[in-house]
Amino acid sequence: MSESTDPQITELDPVIHAQARLRVVSALSVLRDADRITFPRLQDSLRMSAGNLSVHLRKLEEAGYVEVTKTHHGRTPATLVRLTRRGRLAFDDYTAALRALLDPERTEDQ
Amino acid sequence: MGTSDDDLPLGDPAESLALIERERANLERDITPDPRLMLWPWGFAWLIGLTLIFLRYGPGGRILVDLPGWLPLVTLMVLMISAGIITGTAGGRISRHVSGPTSRQGLYYGVTWSVAFSGLSVLFSRLSNQLPEAESGLLWAGGMVALTGALHMTGGALWNDRGLFFLGVWTSLINVIGILVGTGWHSLIVAVAGGGGMIVAGTIGWLRLR
Repeated sequence: MSESTDPQITELDPVIHAQARLRVVSALSVLRDADRITFPRLQDSLRMSAGNLSVHLRKLEEAGYVEVTKTHHGRTPATLVRLTRRGRLAFDDYTAALRALLDPERTEDQ
Repeated sequence: MGTSDDDLPLGDPAESLALIERERANLERDITPDPRLMLWPWGFAWLIGLTLIFLRYGPGGRILVDLPGWLPLVTLMVLMISAGIITGTAGGRISRHVSGPTSRQGLYYGVTWSVAFSGLSVLFSRLSNQLPEAESGLLWAGGMVALTGALHMTGGALWNDRGLFFLGVWTSLINVIGILVGTGWHSLIVAVAGGGGMIVAGTIGWLRLR
């Protein structure tokens, strides 16, 4: 199977087609709709540096896929992250597209 | 892994799907309280505490091992209070990192346990003075185990957790069997099958998350 030259694979959502952002969105997809996770918890889980995660979150935020809110837990400032409805939809479409690439016959039947 | 590497798309869909599953499993584990911490302390409290009660207050009032009368109850109370602290801390540590409906559900669920147990304790304290020692013991143990079973089932419904739901069903079932078999035996059945059930459920839950 050819890779980047494959027309099907280049049609995949470019925002989350980058490995790091796919990882971020995958992790966030575990949270239920209105739930938010703290930045350090997400960072630990993804084993990314804070700077790196910030950069990718900004790109995802620009695409409207995640929502980043600053708040306070008592006196300490906290950053909370959540996947938006749009982000969840994009993630679902992306995984469906991957499955279709793996098993084209089954999706043709549907 | 550098940024440049991160920005590269994965070529192979199967690899991408595996990556997605890996990250989902990681986060799931990071935001779920460790089932061992949630269930083992209670399982061991029941197993140890109720076995001591069985040995001291056996079937038909027999004393199988001549322990001081206060020892089994004090042991059970201390173990249960420790279990409450351990599970409360483990649950609370998670809820500091996730906010929203799920952590609110967790808080309400935790409070429900405390309120329900306090309510029954007040009732049983008033009633137990008027009952013979063995019946009073059965009232306390049978009532609390029934409540635990029901709350585990509720937890199963709340978190859509089949394992927790079946633990509740199992606990409720062995409680009724113990009550029907009678005083003394109830302690042994709940110690082994109930406490053991929680230890097994905690282990299964942990293996699933790992």
